[in-house]
Amino acid sequence: MKAEEHQLGTMLHALQERAKELNCLYQVGELLNHSGRSLEDIFRSIIQVLPPGWQYPADCQARIIFEGTAIQAPEFLPTPWVQRASIVVQQEAVGAIEVSYRRELPRSDEGPFLKEERRLIDTIADRIANAVTQRRLKAAFEGWGAASATASAAAEWRVVLEFLRDTDPALLKRISRKLINHLSWSGVEEAKELLRKASASPKLDPTLVSDENRPLPQSLLGSAGDLTAEVFRIAAQHMSESEILNSVTRWIKEDKASFLVRALENQDTSLGEVMECLERYRHIGVEEGELSLYTQTGLRVSLIRRFFSESLTFINVAKKFIDVQDFYDLLDRIVFPPGCHGKLGGKSAGLFLAKKIIDKAPDASDLLRAVRVPKTWYITSDWIQNFVHHNDLEDVLNRKYMEIEQVRQEYPHLVALFKTSSFPSEFAKGLALALDDLGDVPLIVRSSSLLEDRPGSAFSGKYKSLFLGNRGTKEERLAALMDAVAEVYASIFGPDPTEYRAERGLLDVHEEMGIMIQEVVGQAVGKYFLPACSGVAFSNNEFRWSARIKREDGLIRLVPGLGTRAVDRVADDYPVLIAPGQPNLRVNVTPDEVLRYSPKRVDLINLEKNKFETVDLATLLREAGASYPQIRDLVSILSRDRIEPLIGPLPDFASQGVAFTFEGLIRHTPFVTCIRELLQLLQHRLGTPVDIEFAYDGKDFYLLQCRPQSYGGDGVPAPIPQNLPPDKLIFSARHFVSNGKVPVITHIVYVDLEGYSQLSDQNAMLDIGRAVGKLNKLLPKRQFMLVGPGRWGSRGDIKLGVPVTYSDINNSAMLIEVARQKGNYLPELSFGTHFFQDLVEASIRYLPLYPDDPSTTFNDLFLRRSRNLLPELLPEFAHLQETLRVIDVPLQTGGLKLRVLMNADLQQAVGFLSPAQQDIDSFAAESATTDRAPNEHWRWRFRMAQKIAAELDGQQFGVNAFYLFGSTKNATAGPASDIDLLLHFQGNAQQKGELLLWLEGWSQCLAEINFLRTGYRSDGLLDVHLITDADIEERSSFAVKVNAVTDPARKLPMKNDR
Amino acid sequence: MATTPTEPVVDRKEAAKPAQSSNRSHKPFNSFQIAQAQFDRVAEYLTLDPATRDLLRFPLREYQFAIPVRMDDGTVKIFRGFRVQHNDARGPGKGGIRFHPQETIDTVRALSMWMTWKCAVVDIPLGGAKGGVICDPHNLSAREQEQICRGWVRQVARDVGPVIDVPAPDVMTDAQHMLWMLDEFERIHGGRFPGFITGKPVGLGGSLGRTEATGYGVVITLREALKELDIRPENTQATVQGFGNVAHYAIELYQRLGGRVIAVACWDQADQCAYTYRKRDGIDLQQLSSITDHFGGINKHKAADLGYEVLSGDAWIEQEVDILIPAAMENQITGDNVNRMSPRLRIIAEGANGPTTPEADAQIRERGILLIPDFLANAGGVTCSYFEQVQSNMNYFWEKDEVLGKLDVKMTSAYFAVSDLARRETLSMRDAAYAIAIGRVAKACHERGWV
Repeated sequence: MKAEEHQLGTMLHALQERAKELNCLYQVGELLNHSGRSLEDIFRSIIQVLPPGWQYPADCQARIIFEGTAIQAPEFLPTPWVQRASIVVQQEAVGAIEVSYRRELPRSDEGPFLKEERRLIDTIADRIANAVTQRRLKAAFEGWGAASATASAAAEWRVVLEFLRDTDPALLKRISRKLINHLSWSGVEEAKELLRKASASPKLDPTLVSDENRPLPQSLLGSAGDLTAEVFRIAAQHMSESEILNSVTRWIKEDKASFLVRALENQDTSLGEVMECLERYRHIGVEEGELSLYTQTGLRVSLIRRFFSESLTFINVAKKFIDVQDFYDLLDRIVFPPGCHGKLGGKSAGLFLAKKIIDKAPDASDLLRAVRVPKTWYITSDWIQNFVHHNDLEDVLNRKYMEIEQVRQEYPHLVALFKTSSFPSEFAKGLALALDDLGDVPLIVRSSSLLEDRPGSAFSGKYKSLFLGNRGTKEERLAALMDAVAEVYASIFGPDPTEYRAERGLLDVHEEMGIMIQEVVGQAVGKYFLPACSGVAFSNNEFRWSARIKREDGLIRLVPGLGTRAVDRVADDYPVLIAPGQPNLRVNVTPDEVLRYSPKRVDLINLEKNKFETVDLATLLREAGASYPQIRDLVSILSRDRIEPLIGPLPDFASQGVAFTFEGLIRHTPFVTCIRELLQLLQHRLGTPVDIEFAYDGKDFYLLQCRPQSYGGDGVPAPIPQNLPPDKLIFSARHFVSNGKVPVITHIVYVDLEGYSQLSDQNAMLDIGRAVGKLNKLLPKRQFMLVGPGRWGSRGDIKLGVPVTYSDINNSAMLIEVARQKGNYLPELSFGTHFFQDLVEASIRYLPLYPDDPSTTFNDLFLRRSRNLLPELLPEFAHLQETLRVIDVPLQTGGLKLRVLMNADLQQAVGFLSPAQQDIDSFAAESATTDRAPNEHWRWRFRMAQKIAAELDGQQFGVNAFYLFGSTKNATAGPASDIDLLLHFQGNAQQKGELLLWLEGWSQCLAEINFLRTGYRSDGLLDVHLITDADIEERSSFAVKVNAVTDPARKLPMKNDR
Repeated sequence: MATTPTEPVVDRKEAAKPAQSSNRSHKPFNSFQIAQAQFDRVAEYLTLDPATRDLLRFPLREYQFAIPVRMDDGTVKIFRGFRVQHNDARGPGKGGIRFHPQETIDTVRALSMWMTWKCAVVDIPLGGAKGGVICDPHNLSAREQEQICRGWVRQVARDVGPVIDVPAPDVMTDAQHMLWMLDEFERIHGGRFPGFITGKPVGLGGSLGRTEATGYGVVITLREALKELDIRPENTQATVQGFGNVAHYAIELYQRLGGRVIAVACWDQADQCAYTYRKRDGIDLQQLSSITDHFGGINKHKAADLGYEVLSGDAWIEQEVDILIPAAMENQITGDNVNRMSPRLRIIAEGANGPTTPEADAQIRERGILLIPDFLANAGGVTCSYFEQVQSNMNYFWEKDEVLGKLDVKMTSAYFAVSDLARRETLSMRDAAYAIAIGRVAKACHERGWV
């Protein structure tokens, strides 16, 4: 970027000019807001603040001519170097602003004036005009108010009419038009007649439309005044006085917003223009509540679409929580290109919506109200296109279709290329403006692409996020920021996201990269900058270390400092895990475990070196110790054989060992409660489990990201097929089963149980581990399974299990630990250890097998007798072939593959040989999709209720009427909801028995279907209530639901109903 | 737990102590049967009368009880608790309390019997006991664990106490659990009885010197062995397996005696294997400790930078040394590697539990190497627990010097008794230790007129 340095200098000068101009504009805005002062008085002040906004303030003077009067300083000197803008109110020039130089100055765009100054003076003129209009309207209304206080109600609207005629005839015309439309729609013949006569719109005249295709005669009507008089005359006949008054006042108010509606309706309006309109809308101070509901919703939806997302799912939720006013927050913080049609991207959208949901939750606790979002600037997604064109990089756009290996190889060069590319100057200006606003606090540049953070494609960690120290001169900081933006842009073309998109069929979708520039949450600790702690939290807990923890208890991964260590998997370090629903059930219990699995390192920003770093916590504490934010709540004291809470004075961190346990934070602060409430609120409002990122600076809790929690079908319980032929069943399990499936396994790596326990030499055992590591690189990724004895990867006695590390197994699809019972001794398995956590994170399925449990199957003959490929694959480990076996399943079975299905709700799992595809897949796929569209739970329940009613023979069973109520009727049913039925029963005891039996059959079937769809198991899905005539008479029990005023039961037609 | 080399509290080690007579490469089939078989063998040698055998083959008393706990979610869960007092002829019972999901009464019985022998071999006036609760602390909140601890005490409050039976920490219990139990006991009995339980933190009834006790104990027995063999410590060199708490203090005391440790072996978490770190002119304990993590793992690269040779994990056994101190985990000296020991080797001091397999044991004996058996060599820990109880009972706490001085006396005389018997009866040190322990308990039972 060296070539840019000169350009940077010029640009900075230009920027200073912009800052002056902006300042000037703000001051004018400020002055115009003083509604108590007279216009002339305000204009006197305005001419004072104008000159500093121009390029040569010393020689600059200004005056305002208004309604024939010139407001100017006594020393005003007319000169030929003048810039002038008219003040136009209701299409009529009522005055002008003039800015002039007292002497000749160098030529520029418009005489001595800059083109930006032209824009400035126009804007100011516009603002003044607005203010004048506003004052006139206000005066009109006040006059009307005064009038109505004295006049009778009947005359009120006439007063309004009079005022409008005087002040704003154009508005009156529009209102007349609305009124006549209204009357026509209401079926007033006279109005229709009038309209036909006026006929600007042919569609309202059915005779003309049906008759001919010739052009329609133009308006027969005379002047607007005539029409107005006529319209109001008709209205007076057909509408009550107050009706007319209400309509007229509503239309007047709505008219104020009409320019915004029009701008949004027009697809060609650029984002910049939309923002200008929005700014004007803010300026004229429309109260959203004054607009009709449909106008409000229309505005919201259009704005959401323009700023955030076209996704219907998103809009549907967002429109409930994002008001027009909410967009004001964004106005000053968006960097957008001219003619912009880009958006802010998925991450921005998710975060913005989440924050609004929190702000608008009526029942939110104080804790939630205190949740903050860091100050953010947004770069619209279409800048990347401009950037690409600016640098003639168009070739990169289709790189996504190249072979992935090539993408991978060339990617580093592409990054380098992007980083040496230059930015369009507008872009650079925008970034500089952002930097000025954000100041010199550390920043994070985060990707926010259009595809990101949508349900089913979270792109987690696929695109770059970069931290900036943001120290140094303005030029240095800007250069660093541009560098980071370029790198984030490059990441869109990286191999990982390309592969990810290919896997999800998103390669052909147009992808653009929006960017968020955010303040980093935290504070300075010595030479470092970091938050007290950060992390991620999930609504659903997929790593339940204790059977007492339920999925909906959620999961927090908490680390000290920046959250990067919680988001990424880091070797040799661990986040602290908390289930917010069960914060006292910890993964680690003994002092040894607590210490071993506590975080040891911290990610932070080194302010001296101006960069992101990882530092040993011990070192950090030695250096900065007591100044670490909220340290007292984060650490526990290591004493000789236990971990003590920190009570009393802070220890000397130089000598006293501590462990980051977050004990105080969890036990003594509302931190965990806050996250739990947050997760619940967001999940409830968004209708999907969520995944959030957060940071805590010791005082405030910041939300950094919110997106639907991805579970890609993983967490869905797989239906367990019954009656599998015994010769196809390889294993089954009934303990510690989690949800999931591995559809295709082609290779099994089997460590023979007996063989391993008889290995006498430690080296031989280590060799097994090494060989497994080699196989991990050799076998087809995610299609092989490891089976072996005891605790894999455990520290200590390797006789207890194969010595492997994460990287030795990270490509496997599944790990099965086999626990052979010896006497009454049952070996402990890896379940619940951190090794297990690694598996969960890599979505490697885990299953313990207890072959000695008679209710399970373990086909060790298949495993022991199949041909062993080890000697061919790894000749150097051929000596292990007695113990280590590699089985090619299709080769061994004539083309079958191993399929593993696991269902936690049933506590059952099976591994069996099957042809490549089976119907069951489509079932599972369906349940995965239905689970992601939670709104659908009621729909099929409703259909089923209709079906049952239609099948129910009222005479046979003595049922008079069939009602549906509760969550299915109200369309709020969740995956575990019942279908609540109310049956008006008039039959005898025998019929009753038969009826209940008949319904029970349905109930069981529906429960089964629900299970297959959602994985929720219940004894029956129907909740049947029988009511009798007497009940209805007395309105007792559920009978109140029939014909109830609120939430009544819905009657469904039965078989023989007419 | 059993194999963690850094485990400081000896009581815990005993918990999973493998049976000496069983095939060590497999876990015990039924630990109580193994313990009985082992007793039978020694009883035969001692020609104990049938009544004594009958008495000692089984615990004197067993308590099994329910502990109802109101869980955090409001439900009540019933936990099963145990206390087994194997024998208290020589003094109040002593033994840990285990929290373990697969706890069985037989395991507790076996462990209580081992406690009886262990206390007897160092000749401290305590009997043997053990207790436990079937539970997995990984499924329990801290509050729930506290309730289990208090519930346990409530159920046996009248059958335990400073003069009846003294619990201690064990598998998955620690000082915190002991304090909850002590508090409950004191509430019930209305007073302060710190001698009710051991394993308490210093300042709240704990004893100084506990950190050092096990490691020092190992070297005190080693010192006596050297004296017997008429070898001057300053002329010896040793290798140590393990670099945890026990190894650390063993090395410290041995170096103070003038010996030279030329290599230590320890586990490397990152590489998932052990390494031996050798420095022929003697390791620098201070220096090596400064590059060791909390779990006794030495930083391989820093060690190499400091001039240590990094050798394979089992190289410690084949060094040219006079003394081996296996202080890491069980089953380290086996039939396979016993032949690789230097001809110069004279003494093995078992700092860990069960580091030597029976095959290796036999060969070591044939070669005339003096082996100081684990439950004598590492009995410094239980001895210090006894001191903690004594100090607690008189509510007067000694300085560290005094604790360690008394430890020296106890360990020295324990060693002498065992070595004397071994010499007189030409028994292995291991067999002699068992014979002495069981003999002492049998004698106490006789003298009390029980049998």
